[in-house]
Amino acid sequence: MVTAAVAAGRRRGVIVALVLLVALLALVSLGVGPVRMSPLAVLDALVGGGGEVPRVIVQEIRLPRAILGLAIGAILGLSGAALQGLLRNPLASPSLFGAPQAAAFGAVLVIALGVADVRSYALPVAAIVMAFLSVFVLLAVAGRNAGLLILILAGLAISSLAGSATALAMNLSRNPFVALEIAFWLLGSLEDRSFRHVMLALPFIAAGAVILLSQRGALRALSLGEESAQSLGVDVAALRLIVITGVALGVGGAVAVTGTIGFIGLIAPHLMRPLVGYDPARLLVPSALSGAALLLMADIAVRLIPSTSDIKVGVLTSLIGVPFFLYLIMRERRRLGGGVA
Amino acid sequence: MMVFMPQRQRFRAPALCAAILMMLGVSSAPAAGLPRLASINACTDQLLLALADPDQILGLGPYSRDATRAWRAAAAHRFPQLSGEAEDVLMLKPDVVVAGSFTKLATRQLLQEQGQRLETFDVAHSLSDVKTQVARMGELTGHPDRAAAYNARIDAALARARRFVARRHYRVLAVSRRGWVAGRRSLVSSLLAEIGLSSAAGDLGLGYGGFASLEAIISLKPDFLLVSSGSEFAEDEGRAFLLHPALEHFYPPSKRIVVSERMTVCGGPMVIEALDRLVAELKRVERDLCRAHTCRPATLRDRQQR
Repeated sequence: MVTAAVAAGRRRGVIVALVLLVALLALVSLGVGPVRMSPLAVLDALVGGGGEVPRVIVQEIRLPRAILGLAIGAILGLSGAALQGLLRNPLASPSLFGAPQAAAFGAVLVIALGVADVRSYALPVAAIVMAFLSVFVLLAVAGRNAGLLILILAGLAISSLAGSATALAMNLSRNPFVALEIAFWLLGSLEDRSFRHVMLALPFIAAGAVILLSQRGALRALSLGEESAQSLGVDVAALRLIVITGVALGVGGAVAVTGTIGFIGLIAPHLMRPLVGYDPARLLVPSALSGAALLLMADIAVRLIPSTSDIKVGVLTSLIGVPFFLYLIMRERRRLGGGVA
Repeated sequence: MMVFMPQRQRFRAPALCAAILMMLGVSSAPAAGLPRLASINACTDQLLLALADPDQILGLGPYSRDATRAWRAAAAHRFPQLSGEAEDVLMLKPDVVVAGSFTKLATRQLLQEQGQRLETFDVAHSLSDVKTQVARMGELTGHPDRAAAYNARIDAALARARRFVARRHYRVLAVSRRGWVAGRRSLVSSLLAEIGLSSAAGDLGLGYGGFASLEAIISLKPDFLLVSSGSEFAEDEGRAFLLHPALEHFYPPSKRIVVSERMTVCGGPMVIEALDRLVAELKRVERDLCRAHTCRPATLRDRQQR
């Protein structure tokens, strides 16, 4: 009992520390940009003081970017934790399963057809449909109790297919500036977003987050095994559908305004497990917070690294994420080998 | 152009026959000994359309019918559209192939190896480049008189524009999709400079052009933005950049000079239209400026400079 109380206190401490970190990073994010401004001037502009130019820069350019970084990082971390809980598999994450890539394809398809403004709700809706479809197909192909290898292989196939389809859709559209647009959708970027983009993504991200968080109890029961969960009154098939819907809503909404940003969903839960334990229910909120912190950090870094053209934030998250993924595979090598035999 | 229209009508049927013959690989006899040409570049397309007789044109490049970027897209429909590769050009056996310096090197080398006469046109960076190119295409097509007439009209348009702008010293930033800013060595900047407007691109440190961030553009505070479209429709994220609320806050339509890409993307007779359009747009934004504020500060500054 004493250890349980200590663990609960520690979890609270972790959450408070993460909230403070995310708030601090969001403020730093407001202070970083091509135009150098002092922290005081940024705060002044944020509350409506100072000149018109700094006010517009902070309120209309940097604030939506910070909000999107926070919200999208959070939903990616949350989705990763929920998928890992659902599949009882530490290698699960939206990007390894091709969900963001499929969502990007949905959005690009709308653009290629040239029927809708990129700032209309047609984009997130198309992205969500494709994200849902991709995760659904993945689980259908891999089966209920699929091993690590099968999930990863199927996910790889889906993400490659979606990536190629995205590039092809752009190539076939009449858009002559296709190369840069493809880079945006495949690599992801938070640059020059506006509050219109925030309004576009946020409702879906919020809905996805509410859905995923509502399944905390069911995910915890599922961690005991499918049969135990069923005996506890959890409808596993329904849970699966609900989690996929939540992930699709969140990831689809996010991708529709930023393109694919990978690996946040993979890393965030892993960073939190040593701190808050392995209970999927208790992992959700800390994973969301650490996802937000990770994406904000990456987005601050791409603005600080000196470069001739802007670095895409998805490039940075992959640069960090892929070695981490390789490390995970190494750690899971025995299980993977067992899967083959 | 009005002068050539009746001529174009008259040649429609023969051109169609020629096109059919060409598809069969049969060369028709050159009209009155004039050379027959094929173009595989978007800018040489426009020069050829302006200067050659219709039956001299054996084919145009792959972008010749793109209404948003090709100046005479409508006129291009009656000519065969080429792939931009070497194969179909070789089948046509033109006397001269005109290409751009950005046309794939492999294609150009292949054509030359096959003994095809190839004339490469560089990107026009200034009005004098444009006039040189018009004259050169005039020589190639055997119509130096037409070229000279166009160049005279370019000079006249320039004089008109200069007369209007002489008193004003607005800073204009030519910005396109995703924040691409045309540098000093671009045709657009050269047009601005020729008529006495200062381009704000230099203040960004972009000599040859480059991407500017929203924040940089806003802090630069140019008087007006020069954009290629006044549409509010964002067909992709690159275009959405120009419709960002922060940019629209400082640069609503009343502070945006709109000159279509059709008129500025290439150097050719379309610069006449570009110059006239530039002046018309300046008049519009200036009128809006005077309506919003008083025009006195501008005239005061002009007086001081004089």
